[in-house]
Formats: sequence, structure tokens, C-alpha cells
Amino acid sequence: MDYDVLVVGSGIGGMESSIKLADMGYQVLLVEKEASVGGRMILLSKVFPTLDCASCISGPKMSTTINHPNIKTLAYSEVEQISRNADGRFNVRVREKAKFVDWAACTGCDVCQKECSVAVPDQFNAELAPRRAAYIAFPQAVPKKAVLDRAGTSPCIAACPAGIKAHGYVSLTRTGKYEEAFQLNLDATPLVGTLGRSCYAPCENGCTRGQVEGTVPIRMIKRFVADRHYAEADGPGVEAAAPTGKSVAIIGSGPAGVTAAWQLARQGHKVTIHEAKATAGGHLRHGIPAFRLPKDVVEADLANLDALGVEIICNSPVTDLQALKDSGYDAVIVATGASREAAWSVPGADGANVVSGLAFLKDAAASQADRLDGKRVVVVGGDVVAMNAARTALRLGASEATVVAEAAKPGALACNEVEYTEAAAEGVKVIFATAVAEIGAGSAATLRCVPASANAPAATEGEDGDSDETATDASAAPSAPASAVSSLEADVVISCPGLEVDETLFAELAGVGNKTRIAANRRSLQTKAKWLFAAGDAASGLSTITRAVGSGRRAAHMVDRFLAGKTLDGFELDSKLSTTKHREVLGRHNQITHRDPVTGQVSLVTKPTDFAEIEAPLTEDQAHTGSGACLDCGVCSECQECAKKCPAFAIDMSQRDKLTDVEVGAVVVSTGHKLFAADLKPEYGFGTYPNVITAMQMDRLLAPTRPFNTVLRPGDGKVPDRIAYISCTGSRDKTVGNPLCSKFCCMYSIKQNQLIMGALPLADVTMHYMDMRAAGKRYEEFYTQAQDMGAQYIKGRVAKITEEPNGDLLVRYEDIDNGGGIVEASYDLVVLAVGIQPNRDVEKLFGDTPLGLDEYYYVAEPSAELSPGQTNIPGVFVAGTSAGAKDIVDTILHAGAAVAQVAAHLEHHHFAAEEALV
Amino acid sequence: MTEQKPAEEAKANPEDRRIGVYICHCGGNISDYVDVEAVRDALVDEPGVVVSTTELFACSDGTQHDMIDAIKAKGLDGLVVASCSPKLHQVTFRNVANRAGMNPYAYTQANVREQASWAHQHDRAGATEKVIGLVRSAVAKTRLSDELHPLRFDTVQRSLVVGGGITGLRAAIGLADIGLEAVVVEKAPEVGGWMGRFGASFPSEASGKDQIASLMAQIKDRRDITVYTSAELTSKAGTFGNYTVGITLHRDGGDKELSLDVGSIVVATGFDSYNPDDGEYGYGMDGVVTLPEFKELIDTAPAVGKLSYQGRPVRSVAYIYCVGSRQGAGGNEYCSKFCCTSAIHSSLLVNKIDPSIRQFHLYRDIRAYGKFELEYGASRGAGSTYLKFADDAPPTVEKLPKGGLGVTVTDLLTASREVILPVDLVVLVTGMVPRQNKSLIDLLKLPVGTDGFFNEIHPKLRPVETVVDGVMIAGCCQAPRTAAESVQAGLAAVAQSAALLKKGYAELEPLVAKIDPDKCVGSGECLSVCPYESITMIEWDGRQIASVDPSTCKGCGGCVPLCGVDAIDLLGYTDAQMRSAIEELISAEAPTKAEAVKEPVS
Repeated sequence: MDYDVLVVGSGIGGMESSIKLADMGYQVLLVEKEASVGGRMILLSKVFPTLDCASCISGPKMSTTINHPNIKTLAYSEVEQISRNADGRFNVRVREKAKFVDWAACTGCDVCQKECSVAVPDQFNAELAPRRAAYIAFPQAVPKKAVLDRAGTSPCIAACPAGIKAHGYVSLTRTGKYEEAFQLNLDATPLVGTLGRSCYAPCENGCTRGQVEGTVPIRMIKRFVADRHYAEADGPGVEAAAPTGKSVAIIGSGPAGVTAAWQLARQGHKVTIHEAKATAGGHLRHGIPAFRLPKDVVEADLANLDALGVEIICNSPVTDLQALKDSGYDAVIVATGASREAAWSVPGADGANVVSGLAFLKDAAASQADRLDGKRVVVVGGDVVAMNAARTALRLGASEATVVAEAAKPGALACNEVEYTEAAAEGVKVIFATAVAEIGAGSAATLRCVPASANAPAATEGEDGDSDETATDASAAPSAPASAVSSLEADVVISCPGLEVDETLFAELAGVGNKTRIAANRRSLQTKAKWLFAAGDAASGLSTITRAVGSGRRAAHMVDRFLAGKTLDGFELDSKLSTTKHREVLGRHNQITHRDPVTGQVSLVTKPTDFAEIEAPLTEDQAHTGSGACLDCGVCSECQECAKKCPAFAIDMSQRDKLTDVEVGAVVVSTGHKLFAADLKPEYGFGTYPNVITAMQMDRLLAPTRPFNTVLRPGDGKVPDRIAYISCTGSRDKTVGNPLCSKFCCMYSIKQNQLIMGALPLADVTMHYMDMRAAGKRYEEFYTQAQDMGAQYIKGRVAKITEEPNGDLLVRYEDIDNGGGIVEASYDLVVLAVGIQPNRDVEKLFGDTPLGLDEYYYVAEPSAELSPGQTNIPGVFVAGTSAGAKDIVDTILHAGAAVAQVAAHLEHHHFAAEEALV
Repeated sequence: MTEQKPAEEAKANPEDRRIGVYICHCGGNISDYVDVEAVRDALVDEPGVVVSTTELFACSDGTQHDMIDAIKAKGLDGLVVASCSPKLHQVTFRNVANRAGMNPYAYTQANVREQASWAHQHDRAGATEKVIGLVRSAVAKTRLSDELHPLRFDTVQRSLVVGGGITGLRAAIGLADIGLEAVVVEKAPEVGGWMGRFGASFPSEASGKDQIASLMAQIKDRRDITVYTSAELTSKAGTFGNYTVGITLHRDGGDKELSLDVGSIVVATGFDSYNPDDGEYGYGMDGVVTLPEFKELIDTAPAVGKLSYQGRPVRSVAYIYCVGSRQGAGGNEYCSKFCCTSAIHSSLLVNKIDPSIRQFHLYRDIRAYGKFELEYGASRGAGSTYLKFADDAPPTVEKLPKGGLGVTVTDLLTASREVILPVDLVVLVTGMVPRQNKSLIDLLKLPVGTDGFFNEIHPKLRPVETVVDGVMIAGCCQAPRTAAESVQAGLAAVAQSAALLKKGYAELEPLVAKIDPDKCVGSGECLSVCPYESITMIEWDGRQIASVDPSTCKGCGGCVPLCGVDAIDLLGYTDAQMRSAIEELISAEAPTKAEAVKEPVS
């Protein structure tokens, strides 16, 4: 047997039970679901009738509990299941929830919660104020340790193929930490400005806000922080690890190569990029026109590499990988991309007025393209190169730019839909469902057009079923529609037959996989030559920039492991939690205030004349508003600020839940209660009228660790002068299904009445009650004392509360003491004395033999008179409000009674009632 | 005065102590306002200090381990941590010392957070100076620390239960089941108390008589329980864990005396029912009865049939609530808690006997708390009528000319109409009053509250313990409550007894007063101030001197200044230690004051 007793729940009943049993010499396992022991009592202001500070009397109990040599406390853990063995003992499965903080290292200094960029309602402040996603439960928490609240991986992060923490930089931007937001992007890639413009933003497809009014403008926020960094900061401001003495060659300086170089250089490796062209950047520089991706942005991104000492050797085509390796590298990454245009065998394709799309764009990017003033340009092809070429042609003065595409409709094009719509807006004409069969000779060629065949080449397909780019299989319509035209006149023909991977470099050494990509393991990106890795399109076939970035990052981590002699098998680059569901996120937010979505402003003119960037940046206000719309799906945004700032290096995002099985001799259920959800009494307006609060909220307003430094009403922060209490909210009320009296509400109300009169000497306090249930030692005297202090007590129920324009509340009630008339009175603040509800979590604790409950779902005590705390299961006892309404002293006595019988059970003496059960 | 031999003579020179000093940043709480490096540097050359260092968080697991390593590696025999209040972490660092094999009482906490950094946030130099003084002072105290050990003594595995009502009997069984022998002393010739007199009780309808019988049957089954009836506790000596009690058995052939060793005492002497004054709500008139009288009437009635009183049929009953309770200043101010539900339950029993009986409840607040609300609802459903009277307008009872009783009440629930209810029976819903038990109170030194019931040590957190260690209270001797609640309290007292006794020994802090027998002149003055009666006069070396019982001494220090010959020292806080600590503090503060004068006034 691992422990004599399991105690579930560490409120005052659980602590009392644990301490008493431990004092007797029994070994106790105490399991608490929150990060601190103490339950609800530690959150109270003071306690009746002594007006002791709750912290002062509960704090030492918490400390005794956690330090007791016979008590093992598992905070932030939950009991999954308890089953009773044949020998009468219990098998218990405990889930230690991942805290994402190494508690052995955590000092409770609270730096993490100061740095955290996510705010959520604070359950320990009755949701009156926010807490952070990284939080210490409350100032007097025991143990005083932080946890990270992670509901899962935010969908935007889960969707990012580049491994960028989208939620993280959005939340950092929201808090004005723009540089930190930029740095978080740099953790993945140096191409922040580039992705801020040219990423297709799969994150935005995943955004839960998109289910409401419209997505958070995640890509534009990235661009905002990048622009801001490049305008203000000097260099990337990152540090590399100590040199490892290893060197890596990367072939190709496109997004994959550059990202791999960045990652490896940060890991301390010496990196050299071999680039065949005269300038670095691959398609970023040569393929994407400046009006979509300004070249200074690419240059700024590439300059990040300089700071880490990455050498880029241009005009350095590699033809022999083995020779390159042998020239002094420990590993080589092929990141040559999809740099070759597919073959185009139409008659006349070799004519003088026919240019390749890629060459055309490259010349245009280098400002070396000829003007096309007055010329008719026909672009053959429907991919992004085609769209870019047509739009570039217009900017070079072409009188018209026509795209001939085999796709049957815009959605079937091999480019992103926005690329098509922008091109169309600028005056590019697209002829669908048409193929060029022949190009005539002469300076003004005639193109003979035919209907696109049903087996037209399929465009780029998304990998792994992801839908972040426009797939085009719809163009392969079963019956080919008729072509719109039979012939076209053109002064210039630009051919865009599609991009593909040039396999000649690696075919011999590594082999060729399907889709002409390098034969490399898809996870490890390693080829059969162990030192040779692949990244980007070379590894995947034609894809997107963002995927190439992700692939480069992956390759770098794999190479780093390879160089360190670590295994690549089973290594998970980004070990993610399961993705948070939209439904769960929307369900978590009580109400979502409408926000007009922030979208980018793209200026599209017909026949544009210059290469200026067409998309306007977000203003700072827009960046704030846009990032402010984030719903914090995963709660923690993974912004890494806590991890970076924790002085104890205690943050550990790789932690996961841990299941432990233990055997115990007896169980004490002390899971406590819940409070009535006051919005179930709509006539009182809780949740609608901000100045109607619950008594638990008032207790927080009065507590020494209160969220605001005074008692104020939430609606406008006014210090209230007239405060009303409404007793029996959710108790003695068949309309909400609870005919029971909650016992403690009268008394806590009287306590609060006295405390308010102390805190706000001029305030008038009135309580509307049914029966004043001051039943208990010194309770009646406490009630009398409140009356003597000036609190007013009016017998009669409240029928309805209405809000006045200034936020005051009109309370309509019956005044029984004065003739029973219906009276209305205005108050500044109304406090609902909410009652107790059963904590139905207990129902999940026991598997085969369910724990007996009474008809109101409290744990049943079959022989409550002589064996209080005894349940229907021998060896299982209940302590405190799990069994029904109790105040603190009742709970302590009840726990004492349960404990006496637990000990008897453990000593194998059974009281008659328990014997009857066995 | 003769020359005193210093008690510490044999001890090594205090300056040869090996003390470790840890100055905590408290994550900025201290270091933001105090130059902790300067404090560390100031302590480095302090005599006896071997380690002086600063820590971001002295309390963190990591630093605790570092301390343990340092204590072992450097052979430290004293530890000072300058951090927060000792209330927070004294236990923490004593445990560190313990784990490292150092005497935990050679640990001193200097509270430099609450007393310096928080208090002087705008005066870094001053706060730093003060911290240096406080730490030097703590070092000075530590230099003179003695090796102390917790006082351990064996406990008797037997408890005494005073009172043989439902609370006491159930507690006795609870004790025996845990392995503690139980001895029950009941003053009356029969056990059972109030519950033993009555039938059906709320809310389970179990008969009180049956419950007592069932408890007695179980007691007979257990060898470890002895019940003495017609018996009284008449003497008590010794201390917690080891009391010796005298019991007087009143027997036909004369009293017999019995002496027993017990570890704890559970007092469960119960209550008396309120006895109305003559004429109070018509008490004394024919047909006006108290609640216990009415319950006995119900018990003797047939299960179904007619209810009769004095041979007359009862067709209508009026219950007047709060008789003897909530009387306001000068009377019983308290609420008796059980009576609302008890009266309601009685009315339901009446309803079962004869549903045609009309029942009127005249109340102030119905305190059917928790699940008892269901009984209240049931009684209304069964036809009981409830009328609420104002606190200052109680009902009156008179004899009606035509026979029967008339109850006049102003009913707030029907727009304050005055109603005269003609009824056959008026039940005064009488509350509980404290039982007169002066001899027991004197014997056990039980604290009595203003309401006359026994007082616990803390009404919220320690509801069954009294200020007298090992003496517990349970049930209605403490406050009015229901039988089930009393049983809970009785079992809670069992748990508390077991927590004290079950291990077989108890440990006490050694920080107690100690008398130097050579110095003591036997004036006996200290005896008069000790609130715990821990000091007695003993014969020593042929003369009378004072002696402290360390098991009952609380270390309050009250006796120390009173001794005219300085014969008493408080271990852990000896005169020498405190004097040395104060001297360090004063000498450290002096330059600050001088400097302050020199500073220009801005």
C-alpha cells in the first residue's frame, strides 16, 4: 500500500482531514486540482463571527499541510479514477497536470506572470480582474509556484508550416512589445519582413476570430513588427551559441536555405551558402515582383544572416555534392528549390518574341527588363509566375496583358485566388479553359488556341492534405469546356509552363523521389548519404515560401542533431499539444464584444505604372486593434517571454500530464462545492448589469489581497453609497431546482455588511432576506451587532432589478415588516448572496461502484446521525460541503468526524453502520 | 552578591562559532530597497561568521540544497537567514538545519523585509544600515545559542469521556475503534441523556431511544470501553498526555474512589432545556407546555389516532418559537439553533398521528438551515400555518372564557393583522441553556463564554480544543446544536485525541523557561504570574526552589522579568542572547543617526 489515505481536495475540509490523519501517523496523499492548496477559504476576506482574516488563519493550515512529513501533496493534479479492490483497498489513478514549469526550480518570484502577454479572467478573484496565462494562483499560494495555463496549441500556431508562434507575436504586439514580437519570428526564420508580405497565412484560416467577425490580421501584424524593427533597430539582436567547430554547406539561398543557415548559425555552426546566381534570395529576389515584395525588405531580411557570420558565396553553382562535402564540410543541405521551368513543347515556343516567365521576372526584378510600351503581351500559364509576369508587363507599359490558362475558372488556377483577383483588378485579362497549340512566327505572333484538354497538367498540390494554398484539381474537369477564343495576337509571349525541381545535382548521390524531389526521409530530411540533407522544394516538390521556411528550419535541427551524434528517429521538432477547438474557445468566453475586423488595404489601379508596394502597412492603432481581437485560443500564446525572462530557467514547455497509480487504504472525498451561477436568475440581471455582483466577488473586493484597492462597483468604478444584498439567490428556490437552504449565505452577508460599514463608513447597507438564519454559536449576536452598526434588514423577496441609465439599480421588493407593500428602491450596487451547489465532479471519481448521492447530488451519508461522513462505499468518507451546505466550522467538525472513522477503518475496527455495508 | 559561575563556561568561545549568513533578495522585495551586497560585505568579517552570501530566493528548493551542502562542507553550527518574517519561513529553515544535521535551534531568522525593506522604501541607505544591524543582531543571538532538543514524552493510550449522552457514547466507540481505551463517566444513574428520553428525531426519523440502545449494544461488544454511571470526575492532575484523574462512583454502599491515567479528556456534558418563567407566554397555565414536554406527549400518543393532553383531545396547537432564545440584552442573546427544526419536525409527527389537528407556528425567523428546509416545506405542505411576529411584539397567551387557550399575535405576513388563535395546546419552543456544572468547570479550568457555554480555543478553526491542552469539548455543552452535529463534534474530539496520543509520544518545543537552582531563592513570585500553572515549588538541595514543568510551559517568558535574582532564563531567548542581540543592534544604528545629522536638509 502506497498511502494509508487519499484525500481528494485541499479546501479547509481536505486540509483538516489530512493534518489530523497525518498527526495520527497515517501516510496521506492529498490531491488538489488547483496550483495551490487552500480551496475557497483562503480567498475570503474575513470569517464570521470572529472577523479573523481568512488568510491569517488559513495560511498556517496550508503551510502545515504542505510541510507535514506524513502528507504528500500533489497540487495541480486530479484524481482520474478510484476503484475498490477485493481486499477493500483502493486503486487510484492520479493525473499530475502539466504545469510547464519545473517546480523544483521555480522560486515563485512571479517574473513570468509579469512578463506574460495573455490575460484571462482570474478564477481566484471571482473573475473580477484578469490574471495571466503564466500565473501563481494568488499571493499567498502554497506552494508558491507558477503554472502556465495551456488549453492546447492555438490553431494559428498549429497551422503554421514554418513553426512560427503566431499567437505569440500577436499577443506581444497587443501588449506593445513589438521588438519581442519580431524576435519571436526570428526564432524561426530571418525572413520576417518577407513572410509578412508573401505568406499565404494559413494561420488566418485557423483563427477562431474568423468564426466571429473576421480573422485577426496575423500576417499584417508580422509585417508591422518587421517594418518597425527594420526602421528602428540595428541588426537582429540575437546571439548565437558558442562555436561548435562544425561546418555546414547549404546549396541555394532561397527561403529554405536561408532559414536553415540562420538556425544552424544560431546553434553555433559555421555555415556557408553556395548560390548559383549573382545575388542571394532565390525566388524572393528574382521571382516575386517588387510591388508585392519590395527588394529592400528581402535585403533587410537577408542581412540578419550577416550578423551571425553566415557566408553567402554567389555565382557558385555546385555540381558535385561529394566534392563539396570533401572540401571541408561536416554536412550539406540541398535547398535548390523549384528553380527550373518545365519543358514547353508547343510549336513556335522557341520564337524570338517568346520569353520564359522566370527569366522575365528576374530581369524585371533587377530593373533590366525592356519596356513593353504599347505591346500586347500574352502570358501562357495559370500559376503565380504567370500572374506576376502579366502584372509586371502592365507596369512595363504593355497595352494589354492577357493570360491564357487551361484552368476552367478562377478557383482552379494554379495560383492563390488573391493573386488572380489582384491581377484582374489591375487589368489583366484571363482566358480560361484554353491551351495554346501553336505560336506563329513574326514579331506579332498569332497564337492558335484550342480548348484545354481534360487531362491538362494539374497544378501544384498541397502536401498532406493541407489547404493553405489553392489547389487546382478542379481544372481537371471531366469534360473540357470550349475555349473562349481560337486565336490571339501577341507582340510578346511569356511562357509559364510551371516550376519544377532540377534533380541533376542530387540524382546520383541521393536518388530521386516521386514528383522529382530528392529522395529524403520526409521527417528527418536526411538522404541515404547520411551527411546530406534536403530542404524546401528540393525536398517536397513545388510548394510555398512558408513551407520552404519550415522545411529549412526542420533540416537545420536535424543537421544539428546529426552533428551532435544524436538520433533523428522519433525526434519531434515542435512537440505540440492538441489543437484547441473553435467551439471550446468560443465556449470559454462568456461574451465576445464585436470588433470590426482589421484588414490590409491594397491599392489596385488599372494599368499600374510603377513597382511601388501595393499593400499599405498597418498603422500602430490598427496593429493594436487587430491583435486585440485575438481570443487566446490556447490561453498561453507561447510568446516565450516567461521562458526568456525566468531567472530560474524553470519554464519547460515540453512537460506533459503524468499518470500515476497508487494503492490506498481509505479515501476522504472533500471536493467542496460550487456557487450558484447567478445568471440563472435573469430577473436579477447578473451578467447583464455590471453593478450586480455576487457575494464571492464582494468578498474579493473586501479581501486584503483585493484586485482594486477599495470597494467599488465594476460598472464605472464608483465607490458605492447604497448597497443592497439579496439573500437566497439560488437557494430555497424551486424555480432553479434548489429547494435547499445554503446555510452560510445569511452569515457571510452579515459579515460583509459589517466589513463594508468599516470600509465605507458613509455607505448604507440593506439586506433583503426571507428568514435570517443566524443559527450557530455567536451567530445571533453577530447579527445583532450588524443591526447595531446600522445595517438595515428588510424581510421580503426581491422580484426584479432594473438598471437605470447611470448604472444605478432599481430593486422592486416586498416589505413584509411594513405592511407587505411592493416598494422600489434605488441602489448603487447589488450583491447577490449566492448559495451552494453540489460539485458534481465527485461523480467521476468512482468507476465500478459509484459513490452514492442524495437526490440533490450531494454525497449521501446513509447513517448521518451516528456515522457522519460515512458513504455507501466502505472505506470512503466524505468531509465538508461535498455532502451538503456547511460553513467553515461545520466543515472542520465534519472532517474531524470523518477522520475518526477513517482511522477506525484503517485499524480494522468498524462501527456498526460500516459493518452493515460490508 | 556572590560571584556567579557563568553557566556557559564550559562552552567554546562564541566567536569561534561557525555561522552561515544568507541575505535574501526576495526577488527584489528586499534587494530593490536594500543594498544586499553591502550587507553581505558588512557581515563577512563579523566574528563567528564563516559564510556570508546573498541569494535571489533563500527559500527556494535550490538554495535550500546549497545551504545543506554548505552546512555539511564547512561544518556550520549556526545559521542566519535575513529575509521575511519568521512566521513564513522559520520552520522552513529549521528544517534545512535539521536535514543538514545541524541543531535547528541554532537558526535565527532576521526579518529584514517587513521590518526594513518594506518599511523604508524611500531610504535605501537607511534601510541598508538597519538591515546590517538586524543581521548582526541575529548573528549575535546565534553565537550564544545552545543546543536544544524537542521535549519528547510518552502519552497514555486512554481517554476519559465526561458525559454519557449520545455524544459521549459515540465518542467512546470512536476512541476504542482507533485503539484508544475509553472511559465514560456519567453523572446520572442511566446513560443516554436527552436523546435517550425521546422517540423519532429529525431528519431520519430514527428514535433517540433506539440510537442510545444501539450505541450501548456496541459498547458492550468492545472490551476497551468502560462506562461508569452515577459517577463524577472529582480530581485531575498531571499534564496533557499524562493526566491522572480521580473518579467518584456514587454507590449504594457509599462512594468509591477510582484513579486513572488518561491522555486526554473529552467533555460532553450536554445542556439543560430552557425552563420558562411562570407566566412567560402563559407558562403555568393548563395546556401550555415546553418542547420537551410536548415531545414526550407525542411519544406516548398512538401512531395513528388521537392526540390528547391531560385526557382532553387536542384539536389545535400553537407553537411559539424562540422561547428562551434570542431574548436580547439581559437575556439569552443566542439562538438555540435546533429548536425551529425540532418544532417543525414535531408538527409533522402530530400530522401523522392526526392530520386533522390544526397547527399554527408563531415565529420570528424560521431557521431550518441546509437540508432542514425540506422539513419546513413538508410541514407547510401538510397544512401547518406560519405566522411571523415582530421581535418587539411577541404573542400573548390567555385562557379563553369558553375554555381552551387564546393566542394573540400580530401577523406580519398578512399585513400586520392582529389574529386571535383559539387552541387546545400551546407549545413553547424552548431553547437550550448551559448546564450548571461549576465543580467540573473549576476542576478542568474550562473556559466559559458570556453565554454560559464552554468555549473552544478558536471558534472557527479549532472547535473542539480548549486552551487546556488535551481537554476537548463536544456537543451541546459548547453551544446549542442538533444531536447529529453533537455526534460530529464528539468524533472530531476523538480525532483530535488520536492526533495527540496515537503516536505514543508527543513532542514539544524546548523553548521554555528554565530555573537555575543555584540562583533561585524560592520566593515563589514566579508561581503567581504563570498563566499555565507550570511552575511549582520543589525541594532541592535541602531548600524550596521553583521548578518549571517543560511539558506545560508555553515559553511565554512572563516569569523571567519577575524573578528578583535573575534565576530564570528562557531557552532559545536567554538573557545573554537577547542582551547581545540588542547591543549589536544599538551599536549598528548609532552611526546612521550621526550621519543623518550631517546630511544637508533639502
